This record gives sequence, C-alpha cells and structure tokens, in this order.
Amino acid sequence: MPASERLVAACAALALCAGTAFPAAAQEGLGPAVNEDRKLPPDRPADREIGQRRPGQSVPLEFFPPPADPSQVPPPLAATPRQTVPVPDRWRIMQALGFKFPFNDPYNQNILKGDLPIGDDPWLKENFPDLARTLSPDWFFSVGLVSDTLVEARRLPTPVGGPSTDRPGSVDVYGTGRQSTVAETLIVSLGLIKGDTTFKPPDYEFRFVPVFNVNRSGVEEVGAVRVDPRAGTTRTDDHVAVQELFADVHLRNVSPRYDFDSVRVGIQPFTSDFRGFVFQDVPVGVRLFGTRDNNQWQYNLAWFRRLEKDTNSGLNDVGARPRNDDLLVANAYHQDFPVPGFTSQATAILDVNREGSRGAFYNGNGFLVRPASLGDERPRDYTVGYLGLNGDGHFGPWNLQASVYVAVGRDDHNPLSGQPQDIRAGFMAMELSRDFSWIRLRLNGLLASGDRDPFDARATGFDAILENPQFAGADTSFWIRQAVPLVGGGGVALSGRNGVLPSLRSSKDQGQSNFVNPGLLLVGVGADADLMPELRAIGNVSYLRFQDTTVLGVLRNQSPPDREIGWDVSASVQYRPFMSQNVVLNASAAALLPGKGMKQLYDEDRRGPQYSILVNLLLSY
Amino acid sequence: MRTEWRPAAALAVALALALAGCGGSSGSAGSRACVPNCNAPANFLTEEDVRRVIAQAVNEAAAREAKATVAVVDRVGNVLAVFRMTGARERFDILSGRGVTGGLDGLRDTLPSSSAAIAKAITGAYLSSSGNAFSSRTASQIVQEHFLPGESQAPSGPLYGVQFSQLSCSDVVRNATHGTVGPKRSPLGLSADPGGLPLYKNGAVVGGIGVMADGVYGLDLVVTDRDEDLDELVAVAGTSGFQAPADIRGDRITADGKTFRYVDSESLASDPSRAPAFGALPGSLEAVPGYVDATVRAGVAFGTPASGYRPATGTFASLGAFTVVDAANAERYPPRAGSGPGAFTAAEVQKILEEGIRIANRSRGQIRRPLGSPAEVSVSVVDANGDLLGLVRTADAPVFGTDVAVQKARGALLFSRPDAFALITGLPPATYLVPAGATSSLAAWATSFRTFVGPGGDLDGRTAWSMRAIGNLHRPTYPDGIEGTPPGPLSWGFDSWSPFNVGFQLDLVYNQLVKGALGDTSTGCAGRAAVGAPAGTPDAGLPLARNGIQIFPGGVPVYRAGVLIGAVGISGDGVDQDDMVAFLGLANAARAMGTGFGNAPAAMRADQLSPQGTRLRWAQCPQSPFNDSTEQNACAGL
Repeated sequence: MPASERLVAACAALALCAGTAFPAAAQEGLGPAVNEDRKLPPDRPADREIGQRRPGQSVPLEFFPPPADPSQVPPPLAATPRQTVPVPDRWRIMQALGFKFPFNDPYNQNILKGDLPIGDDPWLKENFPDLARTLSPDWFFSVGLVSDTLVEARRLPTPVGGPSTDRPGSVDVYGTGRQSTVAETLIVSLGLIKGDTTFKPPDYEFRFVPVFNVNRSGVEEVGAVRVDPRAGTTRTDDHVAVQELFADVHLRNVSPRYDFDSVRVGIQPFTSDFRGFVFQDVPVGVRLFGTRDNNQWQYNLAWFRRLEKDTNSGLNDVGARPRNDDLLVANAYHQDFPVPGFTSQATAILDVNREGSRGAFYNGNGFLVRPASLGDERPRDYTVGYLGLNGDGHFGPWNLQASVYVAVGRDDHNPLSGQPQDIRAGFMAMELSRDFSWIRLRLNGLLASGDRDPFDARATGFDAILENPQFAGADTSFWIRQAVPLVGGGGVALSGRNGVLPSLRSSKDQGQSNFVNPGLLLVGVGADADLMPELRAIGNVSYLRFQDTTVLGVLRNQSPPDREIGWDVSASVQYRPFMSQNVVLNASAAALLPGKGMKQLYDEDRRGPQYSILVNLLLSY
Repeated sequence: MRTEWRPAAALAVALALALAGCGGSSGSAGSRACVPNCNAPANFLTEEDVRRVIAQAVNEAAAREAKATVAVVDRVGNVLAVFRMTGARERFDILSGRGVTGGLDGLRDTLPSSSAAIAKAITGAYLSSSGNAFSSRTASQIVQEHFLPGESQAPSGPLYGVQFSQLSCSDVVRNATHGTVGPKRSPLGLSADPGGLPLYKNGAVVGGIGVMADGVYGLDLVVTDRDEDLDELVAVAGTSGFQAPADIRGDRITADGKTFRYVDSESLASDPSRAPAFGALPGSLEAVPGYVDATVRAGVAFGTPASGYRPATGTFASLGAFTVVDAANAERYPPRAGSGPGAFTAAEVQKILEEGIRIANRSRGQIRRPLGSPAEVSVSVVDANGDLLGLVRTADAPVFGTDVAVQKARGALLFSRPDAFALITGLPPATYLVPAGATSSLAAWATSFRTFVGPGGDLDGRTAWSMRAIGNLHRPTYPDGIEGTPPGPLSWGFDSWSPFNVGFQLDLVYNQLVKGALGDTSTGCAGRAAVGAPAGTPDAGLPLARNGIQIFPGGVPVYRAGVLIGAVGISGDGVDQDDMVAFLGLANAARAMGTGFGNAPAAMRADQLSPQGTRLRWAQCPQSPFNDSTEQNACAGL
C-alpha cells in the first residue's frame, strides 16, 4: 500500500479511536469555553522567538528548555547507574519497550511494511547473518497484498455466431445479450528499499509485482467468448502477470531540499496526465525523473516499450514478445501554478508504432487484433505525437481538472482509405466541481474530434495510446466501462473497455490506435455524496454524441447513423466498513438510454437498454 | 465543427447534382446522383468504344512485352470482340497456387485463352452495377476459405461457390443463338483471376474487359500485399475512359467492415491516350464459336429489350422491378403455376415475387454506394421439380444474380426433396481431366453427408435445407473458417481443396462444364455424362438442378402443409439481405395469401441439427436491415 494510503488508513483508525474514546463528552455538547486549548506558557519576546526556517545557511539553533513541570516524571537521579536497554536501531525503540505488533497488523510498526530495517531482524540475523550484514543498516522491505474480486453483469449487443448459433431459430444478427464476468485478481507487491526514508527519497528501490488472475465470462451466444463456436458460451481463463519489475536508482540530490534526479528501469507504471486520458499503463522502459525548486517542478523523461497484454485479464503478458510500439515521453509538472493549489503539466509523447511488419496477430480468443479486422486489413505503421496541457487543482472553492491534447502524426496506411494519412486530431476534457459540505457536485465535458471522410488523406479522429480515463464516472459509467462491439462493422468495438473514446479499435489493450473514428462529445453532471464516513454514493448523468458518423456508415454500409448516442445514467456506492482502504466494497449500476444513433445501429428497441452492473470487493494488506 | 461543415457539404452536393448529372468516369463521395440508377438507353458500348478499349489494353501489353488475349463484353454478357495479340498463348493453365490437382485445378494447356478472357470480362460486368464496381479480383476475395483470405478463423467468403454460375449448360443464361438478349453464359463461370474489370459510361455499367496474358487462370491467395498482376494492368489500361467511378469501387464498399479489393495496381507502363489505332494493333480479332465472330460489334444498353432485361409491367412495374425477356421481348418467366401435389398457383408465385421486391426496396444494400441505397436483387421461385415459375429483379441488381438466384432455389430444393439421396446417388461420377481419369462419386458425397450429419441428415425430406445450412456443410473446414477442423461432408479437405476443386457443387456439374468449355451447348448442367462417354450413355442428368446449384446463402424451400412444393432463391446484394428477401419475403407472401404455403416448419429446419456438435444455420437477416426504420431482427420468430 502506498505511503499516502497508509497514512489515510492510520488517520482513519485514529479517528475511529477518537470517536469511541469520548462519546459521552461529544453527546453533552462542549461549549466553546470548555473547548479552548490549555494555556501555554507566556510568549517570549519577539526578538527571542525560534522562527521556522528553511534549510541552508542559518545561525545556530538556540534552545530554551521549557519551565519544569512538577507533574512530570522526575528525572533520573544522578547517583544511580543508568538503566539502558540495548536496541538494534532507532526504529526498534518501541519494541525494546515492549511494544510488539503481529505481522498481520499493518497499522503499527511492521517489518513487512517497511517500518523496520530488515538487516536488524533477529530472525534474519540468526539464520542469514551474512545477508543481514549486507542489508544493514537501512534496507527496508515492504509487502502489499490486494485481492480484487469483480462480479459484473451486463447487456451488450451480441451477435449470434456467424457459422453456428447456440439455439435454433437464430435467424437475425442480434442475439440475446446478457453477459457476465467474474474475476479474481491477487496483486502481490514486493518492494526492497534502501535509504533513511524519513525525509529524503530512498537511494534504491526494487519492486516486483506479480499478479494472479482467474476470470470466467458467460454469454448467451457462441462465437463471442472464443472465435470457435464449439467453445460454447462460457470461458474460464487464468493468467499470471508481472505488472511491475523495476529498479529505481536515486542518482543525486540537487538541492539542500532534496530535489533529486532518479532513474527507474524496468516494468513500471506510468500515467500521461492526471486522468489517464492518453496513456496509463505498466510498460517496460527507462524513466529519468526528479524534482526542482523545492518540489515545485517535477519532470519525467522516458522511453517505454509497450508489453503485450493477456487478452482476458488485460494484464501484462511478459511471456509474449513486446509490442513493436515505443513511446518517448517528456513532461513537466509545475505545482501552485498559476495559483496555489493548482498543478499544471505540459507533456509531449511520441508514439512510434511499427507493427506493420510483424504480421497478423490474433488474441487469446482467436480473434484478429492487429491489424484490426477492418477495411483492407493491410498492415500498418504509424507515428503520432501528442502535445498536451493538463491541470488539476482548485481555484478557491472551485476544483478544476482540464486537459487539452493535439495529436499530430502520420499513418502509413489507412485500411479504409487505402492510402497514407496525416493525423490531425484534438481532444479536450474538463471537470469542474465544488464541494458543498458532504457533497461534491461535478460538471464534466469532453470533446474528441471525429473523422469526416474515411477515404481522404487526413485522419482527424482522436485516439489515445492506451487510455484509462478517470472521468465522468469512469468504470461505473456504461459508456466508459463497456466495450460495445460494432456488430457487422468489422472486428472492432465502438469504444474500448474502460475507455471513453469511440476509436473503433479491435481491442483497447492489444489493438493499434485508430484515428479514423466518429469522435465524441460528452456533457455530464455528477455528484459524490459522503453519506457516512463509511459510505459514499456517486451518481453521474452524461449526454453522449458522436462528432461525425460517416465512418460508422461506411463500416456498416448503411446511411451514417444519427450522431446521438444517448444518455449514460449511472449510480454507485462505495462502502468502506472500517473507514480505511483495507476493505472497500464498490457496487454500481449503469444504463445507456439509447439515442437515435444507437437505435440505428443496435437492437435497442427490442431488447431494452444496454446496462452494466458491477460489484467489486477490494481487500488490501 | 459539424455546423460549419454541413452547409458546405450541402452546397457541394447541390452543385454536384446540378453540374454532374449522372456523375462521370470518376467521382468522390456523394457525387453519384443517378436515381435510382444510371442505366439509360444511351449508355452502351459502341463499336468504336470496343476498339478503343482493346487498343488501350493491347498497347499496355505491348509496352510490357506481353502477348495478351483481350475480350470485351457488354453488361449482359454479349461478347463484343476477342482480340488475340500475335504470339499470345493459345491455351492456359488453371492453377490455384495451392498445389492442388483435381476438379479444374491443375488443368494445364487444355482450354483456349479466349475462354479465360471472356469469363473474366463477364465477371467484371456481371458483378457490377451503378452502385458497385467489382472486379475478378473482388471475386477472388469472396470465394475463398476465409473472408478476408488469410484471416485465420474467419468464415469463408460471402459468395463462396459463385464461381460455378453462369455455366454454359444453364437454362437461365442464354447462348449465341438467342441474339443479343442476356444474360449470356460464361465458358468458365465467374473468374477469380485478376484481370477482369467492369466498363462504365456515365455511371452505368456497360460491359467488362477480360485479359489473359500470363497464361495462368488462378486467384489471389494473399490479399494483404499489392500485386503487379500483368492481366490486371493490361485490363486497367483498357478501361481508360471507361473506368468505374471511384466512389463505387469495391474498395469503398464494406462487408462486415472489410473493404473489397478492386485492383491492386494502376501503375501503367503505357499511356492509354496514345494507344495506336485499332487497325495498327499487333494481332487480330478471333472468332470464338458460340460466343463471337472475328468482328467487333456494339453492346446493348442495359434495360432495353435487346439486353434481355426491361422494366416489368403491372404490379411489378409499380415496385420498379425489371423482368427478363426473350428476343421477341416476351417475358421469359412470368409468374405461373407449378406442378405436383399442392403446387404453387400463379397468384402465389406472383405474391412471393412481389413481396421479395418489396423487402428489397426497403432493405439496406450491403454492397452498394452511396450509403443508404436499397438492396438490388433477383428473386426467383421454382416448383418441386425445379421448374422456374417466376423471376423478377430490381432495376439495377447485378446480372450474375439472375442465374445464381435460381441456382440457390434449386440447391435448397434438391437437398430438401424426399428423394434427394436417391437422386444424388443415381448420378454418374464426375470424371476429372486431372488427374486423368480420376472420378469423384456423387453417391459418395451423399453418403458422407448422411454419416457426418447423423440423425436428420438422411436426405429423405424430413429435414428442410436452406442454402445457408447447405453452405455450412460445404466448406473445407467445419465449423466454417475454424482451422484444423475436418471439412464439411460436401467439401474436400483443406489440403486438397481450392476454388477450382470445391467438392460436391463442382462435381455435380463437372462433366457438362468441361463439355461446354469444349463447345457443347446443350442445356442441363447437373449429373451429366462425362466427356468421351460412349454414345448411347444415358445423359438426362438431373433436370431439377439444370443450371447447377449454389452453396452460399439466399435460398429457402417452400412447404404447404408439411409438403415440399418448391423453393425461393435470391441473389444480388449482401448474403444476409438475400436471406432476408427470401425468408421474410416468403413469410410476408404466405401471410398475405393465407393459402397454406410458407417457410419450412421450424421443427423441420436444418438449424434443429447440430452435426458434430455444431449447430447449422437456417438464415441470417442483416443488422439494420431497413433504410426506412430502426427496426432490427426483422426475421425473429418466423
């Protein structure tokens, strides 16, 4: 668990303790006079005050002992020998005093949580003395365990199988669309850190995060979970992934305030911006990062190569050859700019995809994903640069998140136009919110450009590299959560799972970017209500519209449908019984109330709206 | 963004309408404005046009130091000229490139190059319309084991089997003795060998050009590359001035989101505008017995009685339908009653045809531009004997569908007949030219079918068979497209399969197909005696399937009180549209008439069966089926 989350957990636990320790006093209602702080000793004269200072050149500290408090424990008598207890290091002082915490208690000092240096562990010293010496004095070890259990039910347009069907009498394209997924994911996070980590960044960090996933999906038509109709309507799959495997080396400190340069090599998480609009993944690569000006500036310079994904878990497949898709990233964050409380970021990402020479690639279920089963299916390379400005923070009481991207590049062969295309696309997203006591109200807007003419030499539909947008309800909303297949229009989905862009990719995880797409307009409102300390309710309503549906018309060979997608209505609750992140239960339900465009594409009238219901239990250690 | 664009687009369309009329030889999205199509009496190939096409093609072949045989046909298959360059190879090889010997595959140096050129020209003309321009390369793409070819696990091409249509023995297509009326037969059926292209004037298909220069009649197995195909480049040069409008070429039309191939390369070695005069060309016109004399003649305008197609009369006229006529402009297949117990009345046939056209007129065309065009199909009804009781079509349906619609009806009829097993097992085997003397027993196919399908597969009339279901069982993999599986019981296994050696469908007509290619013009394709059979050998064949059968969707049998009385066959647009026009059109007609005929009872249909654990399909009506409503799943519950 990241330090920040642990801090939150600890604070929450403290709050709980506080709440139970003084219930009677709270009920009586304390008057202001009673609530006043205890009187402090009289102030010193101003010229003798100890001021708060920044590090650097300074005058020596002066210390004035407080006046003796007779109620305190008396000091040791000078005549008696000092009773000292030898302790291995300063982190174990509490243990020496008799405080011992079991290993399964992550809230208190725990050697598995990086609270105690492992070199001084008695067990290690006794059994592996050499190792213990090597790891002294300041190596720390941290284990995190997260169990993520997902149960999802949904209704999506599902075609009956092509060459075969599950039931007789299936004489149309659209079958019954109820689907379900159950997935269990166990994330094991192992970290080894060197450094006196109290105030400065660690010197070294090694992290290994294996992830174990089992998933089972059920549908009502054949040919959906596997390409082979004989495989039936259910699929059970498992996967072991490596989501992180990196070494982080603290290169140097560049200021007395511990501004630093570090390099991190290996499989590591990276997010392009605050909300994951363009790229959020765990690729392999080298990232140089650090801070300047007392952490006011943060920067990243990185090269990443994307890893192949396991089809059904969406996790890294390190057994497969990495994608021939490289990212060059440069970004900088500026805190408190333009106003305190607001962080601004500028980013440039170059995505160089050279998968055109790799030949056809089929996913784990037997479906063609690269190139997409679309257009002429000729292989393609592309190079696209993203330039973005992002911001996150607040202006007074108003919270604002905003992103603007332009994508400029070249696709050497578009499968519909049959010719190279210049990529010229744009994206904007904004979330404005304000807190009113226990409720936060949000206003969302998103605009992704669409393509007007699939056959010309310009691709003007915006697509990301690998989006994972935390926006407009994110995975609790229907549109973002579910991948709606463009039935009859090629082996592509309108938008990917956990994606907002209708980019007509074969797969968000495994497919190539596609800049000939209908684009999107999203306008929505939402509310987050902290009903109880343990319970948060979230609601979102978004109106969705394509920018230009010509490409949908071409792919389905029908009159371009109406631009209206419809209303995405969702509600969710988050229940944290212990007011910590250690046990979190999420439940959500979403439906897409179809507009005319969706009705022209799918069997909405007959089957009722598409929906998505999910329950998710997160257990963290 | 959109609001800025819309008025501009509207203005552009308005200008295009005002200025362009029927478009031209090229165009972009939205510029084609012929409603409902571009066919007009003025649009036909003149003799001078034919000479120009040939001169341009020969000029390109000469620039490439190649010797070509070039054929030009009109839209209904009249061969307008065959030109053979001096030194051009007299005969050609049929080679799929899959290393297969059998059926027609591996047949070397036997058939005249003119046959190949004519078949390719006819393919370009027959597959195309005012709404779509397809080439023989397109045909190659849609008759293979996957669509697209090479896409592992994808089902077979949507027109799998269409190459064996327009056969010289067909009763539906005409031969040279019928004057100019079409549709005319093709010596080799439809061609998958690149080098056959349609010719256009004013947005209307007026014919096709076919070229045989490389000596190989094959297909394109690898569609993801770009070939520099000699035949195709020569043909491309020939089309100069008669090119298909860019906006309706196959590469702008999608089926299941995938575009069709039109041509791979247009990198000419010559300048067609500087082609020499026809008289100066190195070579000569060739006479092809039964097809053309050694002359150049003009084509006919599609839709005029001389073409064999003209607007229908009566109720059909109000639906905008066309009919097929003979040389005397008399309708060849006006609705008439069938024979046999419970047979169709003429009124019933009329109603089925009407309802079929009604569905088509509402339907979303799958292979046509501009987007939103209605489906264009041919609709046929046969009785239980396979006699054609009626055939009408929409105005601009591609010509190939005239024959194919009937093949589909007869295919569904043949397998659904109570005596199907006996009929098939009684036929003589196909005697292949290669390997010499090899035979393929039709009885063996029927037996294999019984064994594979198991209960319900006895071909005894207890199961109703639709074209789609038969197609499921006539693919080199079963389930269709899934690699590593055994073939369906009517198909050769993948290793010995090719589009020139498909199995039952070809074997059924093989003997007469070969005889026809060698000059026999007798009618009746199925079950005929082999080449060189001793005189006096019974040769009645199987009249039920006298133009052969088809093995892709669009045909359903018709029952009255559980008794098979005939079949309906549709061809012309997407195969799902064909299915819908057949299945839903028949259901609508049955409901309207209330005389007891209709689709096969659900319990009899082949989709009740799951041979080898994989369920068969009955029909599939398309997604977003209608242009005029958002209705989906139009066939549910029928």
